[in-house]
Amino acid sequence: MTVTTTGSAVNGRRYDVIIVGSGWAGSLVARHLGKQGWQVLVLEAGNGGTDTWAGYQDTVDTFSGAVIKVPNAAYRRNAAAPFPDVLDLSPTADPPGYTTTGHFVQTGPLPYGTDYIRALGGAAMHWLGAVPRMHPEDYATRDRYRYGRNWPVSAAELERHVREAELLIGSAGDATAQWGLGVVPDPDYEYPMEEIPWSHQDWIFQDRLDGKTVRDALAGVDYALKVYGLPQGRNSTPNPLFDGGYRPRGTVGRPNFGERCVGNSSCTPICPVQAKSSPLRLQQDFTDSVHLATRCVVSRVLPGRGNTVRGVEFREYGDPATPVSTPYTAEADIVVLAAHAIENAVLLLASEMANSSGYVGCHLMDHPTMLAWARMPQGVPVGPFRGPGHTTGLECFRFGDGRGKRAPFRIEIGNWGWGWATGAPLSNVGAMLGLGGDAKGEIKKEGVFGPELRNRLGDEINRQVQLQIAVEQHADPANRVTIDPRRHRDGVGNPKPILHYDLDKRVRDGVFAARKVSQKIFAALGVEKDFTHHGPGPDGVAPVGYFKHQAEPGGEALDLAYHGAGHGAGTHIMGSSAGSSVVDSYQRTHDHPNLFAVGCGSMPSIGTSNPTLTMAALALRSAEKIHRDLAELHQPVTLATEGTR
Amino acid sequence: MITAYALTRSGPKPPADVEELRTYLQAALEVEHLTIPVYMTGMYTIKPGTNRYAHDAIRSVVLEEMLHLTLAANLLNAVGGTPNVDNPRFVAGYPAQLPFSDPSLPKIPLQHFSPQALDTFMLIERPRSFVPSKPGQTGWTSIGQFYDLIRQGLIDLEEQQRRDHRDRGAASPTIFTGPPERQVGPEDFYNSGGEVFAVTDLKSALLAVEVISDQGEGVADTIWDSDDTLFGEERQVAHYFRFKEIRVGRRYGRHDLPRTEPSGPLIDVTWDDAYPIDGAAKVRDYPEGSQVRRQAQHFNQRYAYLLTLLQLAFTGHPGVMGDAVPVMLEMRDLSERLYRNPYPDPHLAELDLHAGPTFELVEEYFDAAHTEAAETIRARRTATTEEYTP
Repeated sequence: MTVTTTGSAVNGRRYDVIIVGSGWAGSLVARHLGKQGWQVLVLEAGNGGTDTWAGYQDTVDTFSGAVIKVPNAAYRRNAAAPFPDVLDLSPTADPPGYTTTGHFVQTGPLPYGTDYIRALGGAAMHWLGAVPRMHPEDYATRDRYRYGRNWPVSAAELERHVREAELLIGSAGDATAQWGLGVVPDPDYEYPMEEIPWSHQDWIFQDRLDGKTVRDALAGVDYALKVYGLPQGRNSTPNPLFDGGYRPRGTVGRPNFGERCVGNSSCTPICPVQAKSSPLRLQQDFTDSVHLATRCVVSRVLPGRGNTVRGVEFREYGDPATPVSTPYTAEADIVVLAAHAIENAVLLLASEMANSSGYVGCHLMDHPTMLAWARMPQGVPVGPFRGPGHTTGLECFRFGDGRGKRAPFRIEIGNWGWGWATGAPLSNVGAMLGLGGDAKGEIKKEGVFGPELRNRLGDEINRQVQLQIAVEQHADPANRVTIDPRRHRDGVGNPKPILHYDLDKRVRDGVFAARKVSQKIFAALGVEKDFTHHGPGPDGVAPVGYFKHQAEPGGEALDLAYHGAGHGAGTHIMGSSAGSSVVDSYQRTHDHPNLFAVGCGSMPSIGTSNPTLTMAALALRSAEKIHRDLAELHQPVTLATEGTR
Repeated sequence: MITAYALTRSGPKPPADVEELRTYLQAALEVEHLTIPVYMTGMYTIKPGTNRYAHDAIRSVVLEEMLHLTLAANLLNAVGGTPNVDNPRFVAGYPAQLPFSDPSLPKIPLQHFSPQALDTFMLIERPRSFVPSKPGQTGWTSIGQFYDLIRQGLIDLEEQQRRDHRDRGAASPTIFTGPPERQVGPEDFYNSGGEVFAVTDLKSALLAVEVISDQGEGVADTIWDSDDTLFGEERQVAHYFRFKEIRVGRRYGRHDLPRTEPSGPLIDVTWDDAYPIDGAAKVRDYPEGSQVRRQAQHFNQRYAYLLTLLQLAFTGHPGVMGDAVPVMLEMRDLSERLYRNPYPDPHLAELDLHAGPTFELVEEYFDAAHTEAAETIRARRTATTEEYTP
């Protein structure tokens, strides 16, 4: 049961812990500390309401009514707690590039194409639900492959927390396959739920690809292809082998109701039956000592005595349509920043805290994602637009020696046709109807309708395949979040994030290799035609994220493009040295003993796996540490008095 | 419904032996299913997007009826019987006589979402304590009474079997001799409206009977069902009271009793946002060769297919439940498609009546369904590569 409160009610009050943000990280920490009996205040900048059945349904309706089904299509704009949207970016023709509006100010050569939400549950409200694990070598790329940054904590040390995160998120996966892949160390491990069933298309890929070899010429490595199932935070069949059994969690805000994944195919942004896990479930477990206030935008961490922090200053608003708000403060023994990586950085920069290294905001990362799309031959329908966004992938390009030559990548086998690449299936309908007219404004002659339209749609859409190739981006201090409060502030007066983003040569090489490899995979798959096109269109305008790249001097130059993956990370990365990192391995800031910054912002690398699971494991590790710190603070202090000998 | 009606005619008495207990449990399957087309009609005639609260409440009841159906199948399997749900005699023709009830009660028709429909729903779920007792009555009074007899039969027959085993050398010490692999467990059906569990002994059998009767009528003269105590879930009012809330347009408040009117917050019920239908319509009433007739037939064929999949799930292939779920969703889409059409007869269309599913199932539908279901099972693929040969 969540105790909801308001900003005005907690004004001036003192808690054991204040947590800023109610996404996965904040909810995990709050849940853990509440169970230990600590008084916890969670301040969420965004709107609440989705924790009720009617509120959640309203979000589903908002998504249904949205013209463009982007990840934030289910959530209304918020003037007091603004957040970025992928639609903020537009391409420019001359020079080829981009412009941006909205929450981010962008100054880099390439656009940062990732968004997030500020709402109860955070960006987890629009996540896909993918929970692959990082590989042990992802934690030590500097040692093993001479790039990026090492973690101050190893996969083995995190294992216990990863398992707990898999349980609390409610994960479905094939542990034996993941063990074979090398990311699960224990051959006897079991996920709480059985793997989400593969799509029809997954089986076709397996039939046609498994055992075949493709060469990545850039890496100089031959890769044996093998299709692996994706572990997902989504309700499926409870695994009878899971230790102690598992009962899937039902919907939030409605008694006795819950379903397993039935293939509604709108995971991003919203699962209408709530089979997809979200932090709202964890919030149901909050004890009475956890108080949650939405619509409270934290503007600053307040300094305390010495190098400690005292609490936070925040602004509470009533109507999300206007930024009108009232400032309050609350105090605590420990403050945990658990907002999105970019918002955490802005908050630390605005508070002028934790930045003795100068690295707050630096090392902004994402998984630049290249799309490749093709059509299967007639007679080989794959049945797209059914099931979760992707249920399998090709994992071989993630690990091993190729990493020494170019950024590694994970290939998602997309289940939603050309949805991401071209806006299918609606784009197909428009094109076949001949919508838009010709250059003279005349109706296009080739338009079809009636049974012919239905038959052609059924035939062509049914053969769409798409690979979504997420390339690892390593921590690069040049990719960064800064603020300029004098010039760029949002409606409530908080500084806007200014992003400077680019892909360096190693990452561009990774995208290049991904494109080359995708061509070979399509060939091995026996596609009718590879439709992938990243260069300028007929109007001369290249897509957002376009770049031309030549991997080797004198070699082939390719038109390439990437999308943001929604995997914002870096910005307050962890390390053992205070001079070269912002937080320690417990996500405590080096500079302030009672200030933690948790979330993907702490990750020194993100490998090629969706970062949520690792981030959740880190949050659980921090929660344990915070509990110990609080217990320590409450021990009686023995003072040496005069006369004691 | 053939078994239930036969039992109804022979009057209330506890099952005399295990064979008769199996007959009772087959009748229980029929009774639990009887309500599903009725509630589905009430639910899917609501115009999409309107009457949300009512739609969701009726849906929650339908889900629980499906749970009851499955628990009844588990009970029957547990005592060595074989559920039989994939034939025309399993399904009642509508309007249907409510079995195990006062024969003077009106028949149960298919009705669109309306105050009359909710009155019917409440009649079906009426708690025993609401049934007026007539002096000297010896006949059936309620479905609750029927389940009481099953409960009594389970206890008595198990006790008798134990004694026969001890004193007379009967082979089995228990009546629960059915193959455990036929039990549908939480891995195949879960989380909506309580939880399916395997029935393996008297304890689990009595729990199953308790779930089936409490969710409908409420626990011991309260408005609440027992899911919170049985499954650790949130408190929820029992079926009768959920329907009463819609009928009255108000939710129950925390101090309300079974016999008081709901006094809680208002519910937005708009009776006009529904497709009115002629509940007595049959496929033969729709003009030959018309789209509506084809669609109505198609619906019935798919419904037969759904029952065929359930038959497989209840007779040793519990995993087929996973194949049945998409067909349930198909029922929703096919229903809506039919309800959107005006009734083909212009005079009835003039009265604003709409076409709709008729739930008439004939033998030939099941023949075709069996072929398709066999194909489904054959084509079943799992993520374990060994089981899959391209």
